[in-house]
Amino acid sequence: MISTSNDQCKLKNPMPVIAASYLGPSLVPNRDAVWDEAKLPLNPDNLVQKIMGQPMRRAGRFIKLVCCGALTCFQSVPEATLQTQKVGIFLATGLGNVDEILPFITQVFKHDGGFPSPNQFANSVSNAAAFFLARICGVKGVVLTLSQEELSFESALWLAQSYLAAGEIDLALVGGCDVFTPTIEDYRERIGLKPGHYRMAPMGECSSWLLIGGHGEKKIGDILSVDLESSLKEIQKNSSDYLLTECERLAAGLLSQGVDQKISRLLLPGFRLSGIDETLWKSRGWDIDDYLPHCGISSTASAYGLARALSLRKATLIVHCNHHATGRQALVATVTK
Amino acid sequence: MIKDDIYIRGWGAVTTLGWSASESAHHLIAGKVHPAGVCSSSHLTNRDFKAFEVAYSGNALEKSMAMLDASITEAFERGGLNASEIAESALLVGTTGGLFIRNEFEFTESVRRYPDRESPAIACRNRGPGEVADAIVQKYGIHGLPLTFSMACVSSSHALVVAAQLLAQKKIKRAIVVGFEPLLNLTLQGFASLLLYDSEQCRPFCNTRSGMQIGEAASCVILEEGPCMMKNKNNFMFTGGYLFNDNASLTSAGTDGELVKNVVLQTLGKAGIAPERIMAVKAHGTGTRDNDLSEGRGLAKVFGENLPPFISMKGVIGHCLGAAGTVETALWLSCLEEGAIPRSFGFTEVDPEIGFAPSQVNLPARDGAYLFTFFGFGGTCTSYIINKMYGTV
Repeated sequence: MISTSNDQCKLKNPMPVIAASYLGPSLVPNRDAVWDEAKLPLNPDNLVQKIMGQPMRRAGRFIKLVCCGALTCFQSVPEATLQTQKVGIFLATGLGNVDEILPFITQVFKHDGGFPSPNQFANSVSNAAAFFLARICGVKGVVLTLSQEELSFESALWLAQSYLAAGEIDLALVGGCDVFTPTIEDYRERIGLKPGHYRMAPMGECSSWLLIGGHGEKKIGDILSVDLESSLKEIQKNSSDYLLTECERLAAGLLSQGVDQKISRLLLPGFRLSGIDETLWKSRGWDIDDYLPHCGISSTASAYGLARALSLRKATLIVHCNHHATGRQALVATVTK
Repeated sequence: MIKDDIYIRGWGAVTTLGWSASESAHHLIAGKVHPAGVCSSSHLTNRDFKAFEVAYSGNALEKSMAMLDASITEAFERGGLNASEIAESALLVGTTGGLFIRNEFEFTESVRRYPDRESPAIACRNRGPGEVADAIVQKYGIHGLPLTFSMACVSSSHALVVAAQLLAQKKIKRAIVVGFEPLLNLTLQGFASLLLYDSEQCRPFCNTRSGMQIGEAASCVILEEGPCMMKNKNNFMFTGGYLFNDNASLTSAGTDGELVKNVVLQTLGKAGIAPERIMAVKAHGTGTRDNDLSEGRGLAKVFGENLPPFISMKGVIGHCLGAAGTVETALWLSCLEEGAIPRSFGFTEVDPEIGFAPSQVNLPARDGAYLFTFFGFGGTCTSYIINKMYGTV
């Protein structure tokens, strides 16, 4: 089938990245820590206490992880950087607060006539997490929750750039969060992991955030492009050759715009990419960072991969690639200082 | 967002009043409306709740998908979109329940068919709200960017303002904005747990009001960049939009009206329209004590003695939650096409804390600016202005 690249979805102006944070299933912020799929999900209450200085007794795990991940990013920036700045929040999630929805619906459908908890319902509403985050960060104004199981973080990044470019906001706190919910089999089904449509890796969760915008005085890198293609399927897109050609084309375009030709090149393969021929990529000067062992598969794992690479890599051109389950490709290119 | 050159190319809606925006508007203007009733759909497990249900002879899942198709088809036909125009459009969806209707329907069917067996666990097998966009993309061959907003009651109104923003920036050429909200046990029970229902009637802005009633709807509004110049027809321009998130309260917009006032003033300012130019207000008007008080006071602060006619549609179609933005816009536009600003239903007595009444008669729909307001859970506020102009712009 034909694939039509949609120029309207491309982003051309670099976006400075001021800060990045990544939180995976180990619940240790900004570190690659050991975790075990069979022992998930871990209790986040100690992390909440540590980061927020107080418990969130009534909130579910999704809200807690959204707040902990985003605050880790937000607090890493000096207050002076944020003062007088109009900050927007863009929360991307695939499944949202399913940890609250599951017990609520179980209660709703109880045969003996359960009485659902109003607090649980309030927390199950999809934008509750963004509300709590906005409140904690003191943000008013543009606060958007993008809730789509595929490519939601990439879409949020693209939308945030649009709001920055329009001057509606000065800075954008953009993040992706999804939480692990038992059972593993149900979780796989919810994410739509059909055989041949994903890379083998344990299931996980993450809350990973970027603070973008500003004039780049103290940036850690730039987002160079967010390229979201049309939804039509193209079978050869799954091939390593095709992707390499796409990434080299993208890199050539970016490098011709002033990026150092000798800069290291790194591919971050999303969870729907399988069959990457590492030898081929390396022979063409690309390293591959398989970040999934650190965060596992979740709908917004790309946020983890990008935030981690932006935090750890120096002077590197980084391209994250993933697919929608129907084949639409998303490429995010960044460069670190 | 400041923009004059965004026009509404098409719209469609399925509501409890009819299977198209035109039919719904016709019934609304004619006063052929009915109160919320006990629902008949087999997937609803509790018959205590009154809601505004869409009539249909088949099962609930089929009905929901038929509603979605009917509203989109009506919008495409009204706008005269051809296949390539549809393909190049961006798709923005506002929904809270997504396709959760499938889970509820399959579960209740399983229990109904096999009453002697142990009932299955109602697993949350659906993926997320994005499934609605995926279904639309697949069915209609849309290649543009799909975005799904799940932001409670402002989901589709926010989607409209975001779409206008992207159009103003020429990031997209056309936006198909869809609101979709079938009746769900999940939401009916949820709002019941918050004690937010009026068990008798939804009475927006009335002194006797005591809560909301839920409605179901599917709706679609198509926005396009560029001046519309249809001779001898109504042209509807999306003149200005504003979205705002307050962080003071999860559930209330504050009863002093300040937040509402500020949101409306921002909208007017961005559109460059003075308050006295507003022909009428399509208010959110849920029928809850707090919402209507904050909205009434806020509108009074903006307009003072010169308050234009204001109307809530929730007394006749219910609160359609994430679909409220697009369904109320589509229904309003069809009413204007019929030449009328519709009256508000469910009102009998002025609330002394508000001090005025919503419009109780249909009024002639003249050319000019119409203000829309929406306020939702999580401190969310949306407001926009649509300009009606007959003939060339």
